Amino acid sequence: MASKIGYVDPSYNTPEELIIAAGFIPYRIFGDPTLDLVDADKYVPPNHCFWARNCLQRGINGLDNEIKGIIITHACDCSNREYDIWYHHVPYDFYYYLNAPLKRGEISLKFFINDLKELRSRLEERFGVEITDEKISEAIKLTNEIRKGLKSISEYRNKGVLLGSEFHAIVKNVQTSEKRDILTNIKDKLNKLENNESLPHIDIGKKKVLLTGSVLDDTDLLIYLENLGFQIVIDDLCLGTRYFHNLIEETGNPIRDIATYHLKKPIYSTEYPSLGRFDFLKELAKRYQVQGVIYIVQKFCEPLLYDYPFIRDSFKEIGMPFIFLEKEYKRESYKNMTTRLEAFQEIL
Amino acid sequence: MTEQKTKSKILKSSLKVKNLIGRHYLAIEQAYRDGSPTAWATSGTSVEMFYTFNVQPILPENAATISAAQKVSKGYIESAEDLGFSYDLCSYFKTNVGAMVNNAPLDLGGIRPPTFMVAADVICDTHVKWFQTQSKRYNNIPLYIIDVPHVTSNTTNKQKEYYRTYVEEQMLELLDWISELINKEYDEEKSKEVISNSYELSEYWIKIFELRKKIPCPVSTKDTFGGLFPLFTMPGLKSPIRVFKNMYEETKERVDNGIGALENEQFRLLFEGIPFWYNLKFFSVLERWGAIIVFEPYTYAFGKFLDPTMTKDYIINNPIKAMSKVMLNIWYVYDLETRVKEFKRVIKEWSIDGVILHNNLSCRPNACGMYDLKQRLMDEEGIPSLVIDSDMNDPRKMNEEQLKNQLESFMEILQKNKKR
Repeated sequence: MASKIGYVDPSYNTPEELIIAAGFIPYRIFGDPTLDLVDADKYVPPNHCFWARNCLQRGINGLDNEIKGIIITHACDCSNREYDIWYHHVPYDFYYYLNAPLKRGEISLKFFINDLKELRSRLEERFGVEITDEKISEAIKLTNEIRKGLKSISEYRNKGVLLGSEFHAIVKNVQTSEKRDILTNIKDKLNKLENNESLPHIDIGKKKVLLTGSVLDDTDLLIYLENLGFQIVIDDLCLGTRYFHNLIEETGNPIRDIATYHLKKPIYSTEYPSLGRFDFLKELAKRYQVQGVIYIVQKFCEPLLYDYPFIRDSFKEIGMPFIFLEKEYKRESYKNMTTRLEAFQEIL
Repeated sequence: MTEQKTKSKILKSSLKVKNLIGRHYLAIEQAYRDGSPTAWATSGTSVEMFYTFNVQPILPENAATISAAQKVSKGYIESAEDLGFSYDLCSYFKTNVGAMVNNAPLDLGGIRPPTFMVAADVICDTHVKWFQTQSKRYNNIPLYIIDVPHVTSNTTNKQKEYYRTYVEEQMLELLDWISELINKEYDEEKSKEVISNSYELSEYWIKIFELRKKIPCPVSTKDTFGGLFPLFTMPGLKSPIRVFKNMYEETKERVDNGIGALENEQFRLLFEGIPFWYNLKFFSVLERWGAIIVFEPYTYAFGKFLDPTMTKDYIINNPIKAMSKVMLNIWYVYDLETRVKEFKRVIKEWSIDGVILHNNLSCRPNACGMYDLKQRLMDEEGIPSLVIDSDMNDPRKMNEEQLKNQLESFMEILQKNKKR
């Protein structure tokens, strides 16, 4: 099995293509909501992002043996500061902090290109590989194919054929697996969907919703929502629409293309101007004719908590039912949301 | 433990800081009356450039501390929470939101919408979220964001160089942005004068800190927490330099005469983090045990030009480059490795007996790494270190009794250590 580079990214700005071009599998590190944070809490105060501390605990417990290095990508204060905690307590020979820009524009683009080039050099030096523009371009072609496939599959959520949770599991798999193999799986899945091999199985009584929030990486959370009578037809998650909504343009300057792609894709709460995020959410809600919006925030996730009153009021202004839920990153916390979600389901 | 009744003595010249604060707020009022441009800035942003443009700077963080000191921050914070801002968000931010919602008067931390705003993520990404929120709430006030990359334990010099270029390019863009917005050219000659004043102010501040190395320590937090105000809001003006010069001279006089700020100094402490502005008497509690805080990285950090390569000539001839460098090298948010190294240096040079680390529930960037810092200071330097949980502006998050108990135990450890 090929070696992997693990990355922690509370948004989605890590250049998977550079990692692929270096000969590694880009492996996104997710949390595990069944873990106790015994060790992470020794290093990070308990009022810091639950999800980020959970990822750290996974690191301390020991990751997959195939992982040969770690990249942590800027998204929020947690990623900024916890990098050093990883660096000191989760031993790897290769560490890189990617300073994905907080804002957009030409100056930020130029900076991001410099930082991506530096990442390329570091990977080359540490692992004795050559990351040519050709290899990066090839990787871009591959990930673009995957994005196109995911985009097509995503549409079947709204056709009552594919569950939101099934789709979530597919994207999660994409972000942790060998991309060539995964492309074959995606094509197979799409083929089946196009040939009606998957029968409609979503109850008519389910309410069509848009799911948004922090990094929601536990597929069981979506299953839980579905069991309460919601049909997640669209999302703007980094484990969903934001991952494949745009394609990387191929202009022959692959590092620039990757940087441009990340600074042009739908904006998230960790970036500026994050309030522009509402326009994208509104567009999705309208296009998919959802009956309501579910906004789930991990406890202590500051960027989303700052945006919440604005997003809430903006949905209110357009008359779209909206529910905000803040949860701890552990499965037991889901049941605390049940009463409110049941009430929301009923009013839709 | 035996307790003593003496209290630390404030410098006479520090009392003049109050006049400076008054002068600053009068200048703000004057600017609004005259219709002159005003600008909000987050801490760590270069206020000097505003003075170069004759734009009146306003720092909402400082206004928030005034609300806390006047014991009204809790009400403002709760007003912000009523709007939907979480209990877990920054208490400075919520004080600012609540103060504006309640039309708070100036002397209670009141603050008005400015002509424009500049926020930088030097210290935290929260600053950006804060100003974005307030810009939106008050009819889209023009806002410029300076994105400052984060330096970590393994950032190389090569990286620091292109990080600096990134900040410098934004600063240059910002000058054009302000120029266009207020229809005024950037005056390079004025900029030299302003930055030179800022340097002089910092120089006195650093010199006062150097004198705090002396035993007994001539200056307590009564002088430094207040002295912070002009460093934040008035770097670039002449008036605070005169006050700082007097503070320095008075400090020197105390040192020459062997006078300490606290009679019978027993323990010398380092305090990390932002103080609890609503309960500054906490620091007097320490004095009962003969303990005095002789170094605060937070107040020292805003001496700005701490890097010895930043000579006066250099910053006068390269003001924008110098400010870009400063923004990448602020002690308050040092990477863990540098933080440990600098703490060890300070412990030696300032003869520190113990370290108190404030796990500020409102400031995650500063709090993160604190547990490691504590452990390493204890393991590698044998310095007793205590982490206390509280909040800089939200009194609901301070458990005073628990804090006193913690401190009492800590003092006992210090005493045992001293006897050895």
